[in-house]
Amino acid sequence: MSKNILVTGCSRGVGLEICRVLLREGYNVYGIARSYTDEFKVLEQEYIGHLFFKSIDLADSGGVRKSVFKEFVTNDILLDGYVNNAAVAYDDIVTNLNIDRLKAMYEVNVFTPMVITKYAIRNMLLHKTRGSIVHISSISVHTGYKGLAMYASSKGAIEAFSKDTAREWGQLGIRSNVVVPGFMATAMSASLTEEQRAKIYARTSLKAATNVGSVAETVAFLLSDKACSITGQNVYVDNGTI
Amino acid sequence: MEKLQLIINSIRKGKNLPELEDITPEMNLRSDLEFTSFDLAELTVKIEDEFDVDIFEDGLVNTIGEIIVKLGK
Ligand SMILES: NC(=O)c1ccc[n+]([C@@H]2O[C@H](COP(=O)([O-])OP(=O)(O)OC[C@H]3O[C@@H](n4cnc5c(N)ncnc54)[C@H](OP(=O)(O)O)[C@@H]3O)[C@@H](O)[C@H]2O)c1
Repeated sequence: MSKNILVTGCSRGVGLEICRVLLREGYNVYGIARSYTDEFKVLEQEYIGHLFFKSIDLADSGGVRKSVFKEFVTNDILLDGYVNNAAVAYDDIVTNLNIDRLKAMYEVNVFTPMVITKYAIRNMLLHKTRGSIVHISSISVHTGYKGLAMYASSKGAIEAFSKDTAREWGQLGIRSNVVVPGFMATAMSASLTEEQRAKIYARTSLKAATNVGSVAETVAFLLSDKACSITGQNVYVDNGTI
Repeated sequence: MEKLQLIINSIRKGKNLPELEDITPEMNLRSDLEFTSFDLAELTVKIEDEFDVDIFEDGLVNTIGEIIVKLGK
């Protein structure tokens, strides 16, 4: 029987690539995003009966119990993994910090993923599944960038949450890890100028944008039994950022 | 009460504890049933699956009687 994985932010970019890799490896994928994109529909056509979609606004942390776990990934579905990929970036220098925008980002990047983790673990507990949770963080947590202090703080929160989740649930065989990507050429980084990009890439050993496929393959590895002894870790997929 | 007893016994069985022939409202989940926080988490999800009530949502529950009150609401 195919394993079931919940992937947030499946409509484009890294999330879509994660879906593609997981489907190729034979998983069933439950994808969530606000928009139901043409690229996602193409994948759905290719993997009929293995890829499912629900449009949910993950800015509503209070609503996900119902919208995700009562109406989409119900207890009848044995959940093997959760990939926390959906996120938004609120970029600005600290002196311009706007508390409403900061809170809105924390809803999507921190509070909702924590609530989804709660119910994902409950599903695993009910079915006694040795599940795997993978969070997508960002290299900005570990290497400072101008304008990313607020965004990086939300990812830092998730890294800490993952480490302690791993410790708490390890005795039941549930694992939690983080993939830390470097800068990738996706919609999220589209507003950067050529000059900014060049500077960012110059700080990497491989002198280029991080490959989205490599990030997705690492997520798939951490979800799989091949990674059965890996938990509480951060795995850097960042072209060797220094 | 019967379903609750089945759930409690399924968890006790998983811990190699003898099944209970009776459960009573004053029984304490930790001291009488010998449930740890992980057992209580399992109890919560099994009760939620059966009754659609999250017994720990608004504060701690200590006894079988308190669970019954929450389920009766
Ligand atoms: N791009 C980079 O350079 C970079 C670097 C390091 C880490 N990351 C991380 O990598 C992950 C993927 O980013 P990406 O580059 O693929 O970004 P992206 O292209 O902007 O994709 C973000 C995804 O999240 C979904 N999303 C955003 N807000 C949502 C909401 N309120 N409700 C539901 N879904 C929502 C989007 O779908 P809808 O808009 O359809 O809702 C989209 O599918 C993120 O966690 C990001 O922080 C990115």
